[in-house]
Amino acid sequence: MGFLEIQNVRFSYGQQRNIIDHVSWQIEKGEFHCLLGRSGCGKTTLLKLAAGLLQGEDGQIMINNKKVTKPSNEYGFVFQSPTLLEWKTAIENVLLPIKLKRKIKEQDQLEANNLLAQVGLAEHIHKFPSELSGGQQSRVAIARALIHKPIILFLDEPFAALDAITREELQHDLLQLCKEQETTVLFITHDISEAVFLADRIAVMDRGKIIFDTIINLERPRLEHTRYSVSFNTYSKKIRDVLGSKHI
Amino acid sequence: MNRHAGVSIGIFIVLLIIWELAAQRMSQLVLPSPMIILETLWLHLTSGYFLPHIGITISEVLLGLLLGGLFGLTAGIVMGESVFFRKVLTPYLIASQAVPKLALAPLFILWFGFGMTSKVVITALVCFFPILENTMTGLKYSNKQQLDLFRMLGANKWQILFQLKIPAGIPAIIAGFRVGVVLALVGAVVGEFIGGSEGLGAVIIASQGMMDTPLMFSSLILLTALGMMLYQTVNLIENKYFAKYIRRQR
Repeated sequence: MGFLEIQNVRFSYGQQRNIIDHVSWQIEKGEFHCLLGRSGCGKTTLLKLAAGLLQGEDGQIMINNKKVTKPSNEYGFVFQSPTLLEWKTAIENVLLPIKLKRKIKEQDQLEANNLLAQVGLAEHIHKFPSELSGGQQSRVAIARALIHKPIILFLDEPFAALDAITREELQHDLLQLCKEQETTVLFITHDISEAVFLADRIAVMDRGKIIFDTIINLERPRLEHTRYSVSFNTYSKKIRDVLGSKHI
Repeated sequence: MNRHAGVSIGIFIVLLIIWELAAQRMSQLVLPSPMIILETLWLHLTSGYFLPHIGITISEVLLGLLLGGLFGLTAGIVMGESVFFRKVLTPYLIASQAVPKLALAPLFILWFGFGMTSKVVITALVCFFPILENTMTGLKYSNKQQLDLFRMLGANKWQILFQLKIPAGIPAIIAGFRVGVVLALVGAVVGEFIGGSEGLGAVIIASQGMMDTPLMFSSLILLTALGMMLYQTVNLIENKYFAKYIRRQR
């Protein structure tokens, strides 16, 4: 049984029937999975279901052998936009998950400092979100999602709004952080090369169903030159064909 | 910035000159010249005549603001948070606003006497609404993703209220206070018009009776200065204590 186990889940919203149409998926502990698809294919909905932000109609979702019925601060979630609190500094934002749970200790401060340093924001810890660039805000959001050492991390197209270079840097940082903490990850994107670069396994979604999945057997750690290797392109091409096949 | 200040002062001087020219052609009873008004103002300020009246008016405004602000804030939070209370109380709220509140002043004087209480109540009633309204809308400022974030982090209702919705709503709440402060002054002065012998509003009525137009103008100037000071005070408090809440992204 997988660490994250999505079993035959169905979800409808108002008039729209079966936004998620009997989907099953599983992720083993420590694995990094990407869910890929066009806008409106239901991938964000599936992510929210897995995180407990939405409740499905049929089927069930298990994380670490526990049924998911509501959000839990054992999980980390990174939203499409950084979603920082504008009135808190970078480090206060990172410490938010802890602050909502208990009093902040010296140890937590150090931890937050560390995480921010790891994402390259050592000099910006006391800046407000409005003083940070889009990429820096995304970095803070990632640090915040990791501060309470979540057993699983959900990311919803967190880099979609960033420029290509910044996106690559952040992908790199994310892989490193997740490897260090041995986090299990479900990452949503519409960017094929992002998915191929990050994932151990990719699922492609279309109209509420998973229509294709593949293991990405590229060397680890993934480095800059990985992006330009032949096998990287082979994977990308294969997925591109799956995504495009119905519509061209 | 400096250029703006320069133009502002320039306009002020031009207005003063026009006033002076107009005043020369009219009876002092209708339009006293700026110089005479200034003399009267100075005379009564130094003689101490104005001081108790200023004190009374400021006290009424501040007490009314405190009362109205407290009620407005609480009711705004309750109605912003609870759909039940919002739906149940909204008709009453609209009714209380549809009544011309200043027309209630005579009734309040009947109920609470000629002293300060009646004016404080009127003031509170007048500034209550903008503060309530803005608090209520302010609580909705937090966006969907921020709410999801707090849910994801397992925050309870109180944490969501005090650590997300209220801080996110502070710009709107302060805007409510800014409007409330100016209205509070109107409330206090109208209260003083109708009953009582203390406060700058009462001085205006008295000067009308004595046909002392320069005195009336001096009171008006004092009231204007008071209103501007109150408004600026809210701005100062905002900049000093709430600056970080005013930063909004993009």
